[in-house]
Amino acid sequence: MPGAEGAVELMAGFLAAHGYDPGPTQRPLLAGALAGVLATVPAIALLHLFGSLEVEARILGTSVGVTLAAGWLLMAAAGAAYARLFGRAANEKSGGWLFGAAFGFAIWAAGAVLILPLASGGRAPAGEAALGVFVSLVLWGLALGALVPFVHRPLHADLDEISKRTESGPAAAAANGRPAR
Amino acid sequence: MIRVVALRKAAIAGVAGAAAWEIVLRPAILAGVPTFDIVKVLGTLAYPDGPALAWWSVGMAAHALVGICWAVFYAYFFWARFEWPPPLQGLATAIVPALLALGIVSPQMRLMHMQADEVQLTRDLILPSLSAIEIGGLLAGHAVFGLVVGAMYVRPVGYRNGPARIRLARTRQRPRKGALGRPQGAGFIFAAGIEGSYPTIEQGRWRRDEMREMRHYEYWQRDFELAREMGITHLRCGPPLHLAFPGPGEFSWDLVDEPMAELEQFGPEPMVDLCHFGLPAWLGDFQNPEIAAALGDFAAAFAERYPWVRYYTPINEMYVTARMSALDGLWNEQRRDEGAFVTAVFNLVEANTRMSEAILAKRPDAIFIQSESSEFYQACCPEPSIEQRASFENERRFLALDLLFAHEVSEEMLGYLRQHGREDDYRRYLKRDVPRRTVLGVDYYQWNEKLVDRDGQLRNLGELFGWSVIAGQYWQRYKKPMMHTETNYSDAAGAPRWLWRQWHNVQLLRRSGVPLIGFTWYSLTDQTDWEIGLRLPNGTVDPVGLFDLNRDPRAVALSYKHLIEMHRDQPEYRECPALKELLS
Repeated sequence: MPGAEGAVELMAGFLAAHGYDPGPTQRPLLAGALAGVLATVPAIALLHLFGSLEVEARILGTSVGVTLAAGWLLMAAAGAAYARLFGRAANEKSGGWLFGAAFGFAIWAAGAVLILPLASGGRAPAGEAALGVFVSLVLWGLALGALVPFVHRPLHADLDEISKRTESGPAAAAANGRPAR
Repeated sequence: MIRVVALRKAAIAGVAGAAAWEIVLRPAILAGVPTFDIVKVLGTLAYPDGPALAWWSVGMAAHALVGICWAVFYAYFFWARFEWPPPLQGLATAIVPALLALGIVSPQMRLMHMQADEVQLTRDLILPSLSAIEIGGLLAGHAVFGLVVGAMYVRPVGYRNGPARIRLARTRQRPRKGALGRPQGAGFIFAAGIEGSYPTIEQGRWRRDEMREMRHYEYWQRDFELAREMGITHLRCGPPLHLAFPGPGEFSWDLVDEPMAELEQFGPEPMVDLCHFGLPAWLGDFQNPEIAAALGDFAAAFAERYPWVRYYTPINEMYVTARMSALDGLWNEQRRDEGAFVTAVFNLVEANTRMSEAILAKRPDAIFIQSESSEFYQACCPEPSIEQRASFENERRFLALDLLFAHEVSEEMLGYLRQHGREDDYRRYLKRDVPRRTVLGVDYYQWNEKLVDRDGQLRNLGELFGWSVIAGQYWQRYKKPMMHTETNYSDAAGAPRWLWRQWHNVQLLRRSGVPLIGFTWYSLTDQTDWEIGLRLPNGTVDPVGLFDLNRDPRAVALSYKHLIEMHRDQPEYRECPALKELLS
């Protein structure tokens, strides 16, 4: 299927353009998970304001507390995935908010629009509650993207320590790194 | 960050795109065409029963906000991925939000407009049937938006050639973690560089400024600190000539004083490059014979102001400057003729000579690092015309250095100079006294070795013979102390391998008796648009730096730090006899 291969190549190109490889001193999973949890603060406030939290708990058949706890876990995982996926781009202070907001939109499209209705037998928030879910997830993403560069900075590995790694040492000069026969 | 984005320009384009959508579709809606009214759908979320002005204002503001987000997204992810006309790029990209609007956003908006807070989803709710006119309206709106954003978001980097307001971040007093003080003594030089090209493109109308694109004016202090943390002893860098020399006899040191003070006090020791592929607007281009006197004045003023600077590169890569400006038609005068090339070479050499003399008048013990791109041309096949072309190019690569170092050119090159009426000038240069403390800097990249193909086209060979062989040819010709003054690799993952292999080339040449004084990874940070020779202001980042543009290290930074720590205190490198001789 050349079309599908072409699409994959194009997407890989987009991601490569933003350096999806994290830098050698970076700890994207940890930074993303921490930022993901921190970013829930404004999102929860909005969910509460729109009455969405209660509606979601009712749809899932749990309490608000359990819904919140599950939300933190999910958002930590989503934050880690974001920082790993965007790699170096996630550390950009000027553009991070946008990548995060786009990621929040994607989480909304995938989670709130597809997964939640499937998990709840087709029940979904509507009206202001639906608006609240949308706005809070985009805001969560925006906060996540804005926070990651700042959360990440103090978590970086020390350059002195990490420069002794074997793979960046003199053996890197060999064509494929394999011992000669 | 792998794309330099003009955020303000993208935001304006996004707002304009949303406004254009409204201007095109509102008359149709007012005329009663039942098409999709995005502004009303958004506005009535806040004011379901409010007056038209209220929902229209809120709807427009929300739509403009969405427009900004998409335009910035376009700027990061889609801009300049294809060499299409900009409006067409924008139009093609608008397919993405159009599909999202049709498939996800529009049905969800319908849910958000319901009175209930919970619904049981049905097929009709998930996939509401939009009429053909509604779908047509959505697609037309997105097309208008895409065309406008595409047309408006162009040239994200650079600025109009002429006076420019560029601010330097002020010095922040904070502890310097790296090694303090300029390195004294005659140890082997482990250098990096701040890429500082500033040619003009678009027939002199648009200025590229790599230091601005790399955000060096903003992060200059951090850049120096990173260099110190790496253990780098010397830094190839220079003032932005086009901004520091705004008119005849006028000098502006606003962008220069503070960085130079930091380097003087804390290091690394600068190797100052005074002209890097461009000229101030008032001097025009390299066809102008007045540049020699003018650049001589600038060099004198610089040496007067910073008398502690010892290492100078008066003009970086004269051959490349002349070739790209006058033969390949990419920069500055953008000419494509042999006569213009010869004129540019002579003007550059004359300027270099005047600058050196002016510097020596202020600093008699100055050391000149005359950096040039090492080139090699290989004929593909034993056809006389192809071999003749390769032979000519292999002579032409030496022309600027031959003039500068008062070295005789070949018979073939003499004929070429005669053909362009410059034989007398050449003979005058043969009598020139070359400053004693002159170093030949030899730069090398993966495109420096070229194949002359059967059709006469030049094709990159990659690393065929390698730096030691090509630099060895330059050594045999000039017998000057040498330094590897630039290298990098376009694929960040392959950069550690390239670095170590370049280093082994340096070791090989050094151990064969060539007086080599230093090695350079160029540059400290990533650069922009070098994969297209700076010919278009796209802002695409080349991941060639020790650090990316967020100043996060790349793998090659680990390798270079490792290399420096491994070698700097070895007896062979702790003291470099060739450098000691130059410093004496």
